[in-house]
Amino acid sequence: MNNSLLEGRGLVKSYDDERIQALRGVDVKIEAAEYIAISGPSGSGKSTLLHLLGGLDEPTHGEVLFKGSPLGSAVDLDGYRSRHVGFIFQAFYLLPTLRAVENVQVAMLAANLVANHRAERAVALLEEMGLKDRMRHYPNQLSAGERQRVAIARALANDPKILLADEPTGNLDTANSAHILEILRGIQEKRGMTLVIVTHENAIATSASRHIRIRDGRIEE
Amino acid sequence: MASQLSFTGFAWKNLWRRRLRTLLTLGGITMAIGAFVALVGFSRAFEHEWLRMYQSAGTDIAVVETSFLNTSLDESLGAKLNTLPDVAQAAPMIFNLMDLTPDVNALVYGWRADSYELDSLTLLSGRRFRDGQPEVMLGEFLADSLHKKPGDSLPIQGTTFTVTGVYHGGTALEAGAVIMPLDQLQIISSMEGKVTAFHVRLRPAPPGELQDEYVKSAEAEIEAALPGVRAVPAAQRAANNQLVELAHSVAWGTSSIALLMGILGTANTMAMSVFERTREIGILRALGWKGRHVILLILTEATALGLVGGLLGISMGWGVLRLLSTLPQTASIVSASVSPIHLLQSLLIAVASGLVAGAYPAWRGAHLSPVEALRYE
Repeated sequence: MNNSLLEGRGLVKSYDDERIQALRGVDVKIEAAEYIAISGPSGSGKSTLLHLLGGLDEPTHGEVLFKGSPLGSAVDLDGYRSRHVGFIFQAFYLLPTLRAVENVQVAMLAANLVANHRAERAVALLEEMGLKDRMRHYPNQLSAGERQRVAIARALANDPKILLADEPTGNLDTANSAHILEILRGIQEKRGMTLVIVTHENAIATSASRHIRIRDGRIEE
Repeated sequence: MASQLSFTGFAWKNLWRRRLRTLLTLGGITMAIGAFVALVGFSRAFEHEWLRMYQSAGTDIAVVETSFLNTSLDESLGAKLNTLPDVAQAAPMIFNLMDLTPDVNALVYGWRADSYELDSLTLLSGRRFRDGQPEVMLGEFLADSLHKKPGDSLPIQGTTFTVTGVYHGGTALEAGAVIMPLDQLQIISSMEGKVTAFHVRLRPAPPGELQDEYVKSAEAEIEAALPGVRAVPAAQRAANNQLVELAHSVAWGTSSIALLMGILGTANTMAMSVFERTREIGILRALGWKGRHVILLILTEATALGLVGGLLGISMGWGVLRLLSTLPQTASIVSASVSPIHLLQSLLIAVASGLVAGAYPAWRGAHLSPVEALRYE
């Protein structure tokens, strides 16, 4: 049997005793090394789908399969997020008390890596992001583009196979948006990763190898 | 060299971001542990000093009333005690705590002039007191505090006593005490014909008999001969006399309240900290941190507060004990010595307090939904 890397089957996500339905039965298959863009209006359910695919949340009905095994039962959600998935958020979500190089290491603290290895890997990733001179800066000393690059380095810290980005350029100007997109595409190609980007921007959506549109909690093909 | 981030380093940075709150919480724990070290240390040292005093005098058994609180026995029982075969000498005694001046209070012992307990003291100047005379001997520390020397007068409870001698005693309970004739203390305490206890020195144990067994058989012999009295080993009497019992009760009661306040303060700090960092905890969960990692982080922070507060509290408590052991008001009953076990116990209580205080915030942090936490404003 040829399993997809990631598959959502009949995904329903509802809130408030099912009075609010963010997803209304979504089926999606994502293959290894695919670059997928998910777009749709605000409130359409695209971020909710990303959260379910990333194991941040569990569906009300349906299931998410990772290499054919259901998340939450056969696959432990914490371990899945730690080893297989890297998240990038619109608001960066860096920890304000930590330097750039420490923010990257935070992701590895739960992965039982030795301290030296954590620090060396964080340095290498930040250098790859072009932040060699910004490693000891705190988030409030970095520009928005630099913060997002630190967040990308952090998402790559545990060498995941899947990169999930929720509006990664939403807080950036045009030049920085283009730069971040170029970095993400470069990472996806170089490492053969699966990249799923939730976006409002047509330029990003059209650059993906597959474009999924969501409206009112359903996929529009 | 890039900075390495360790788990404890991360916890420290979290605590240090709210410096004032962390320092105030540390202050609370320091005060609580300081109170525990000082008060419980004082009460234990007090008990220890009693035991040393009995040991240096050679007292094996104390004979007291069955109800040991406010024990009061007829002095006439002494004659029968002295006839028992195992008893070498039974010395009647009274002890009390009295105000000598508005600033100085001291333990006052009433002994007979021929009591064997006087033999363990070394006279530094003057002479012993005489029975039936308003005379007192002062421990060297008390004599120094009161600026008294042999020949001076000392009013106690409305009676003027003459200081006949200044002695050196091996314990704080003797160095800061007044010793006067038993009959004189009976008069000023309104205890004519009564004593607090008899201190008994036994004859040497017969060859081949273990000392503990010998003391036990002597206790039984005394209790059989004098119905209604208890014969207790000196060590037990040191732990159970009413002043020591009172000191233990006050110390533990007050310390417990202080510790409870410290725990509540730390719990409040940790709960606030978790509440404020809800989104950050969501980020950590998104990065793959398990609930147990979040619990470990929060408990590490709470334990660090307990540990540092405990070390500061131990220093403070020790300092307070040292101070009390030099003040005239308290020197007679306070020794500055604190046992290593008590210090270790204090540190363990401090760390345990941190763990208890951090338990609920840690549980709450670990059970936050990652998505809900990330949405938290």
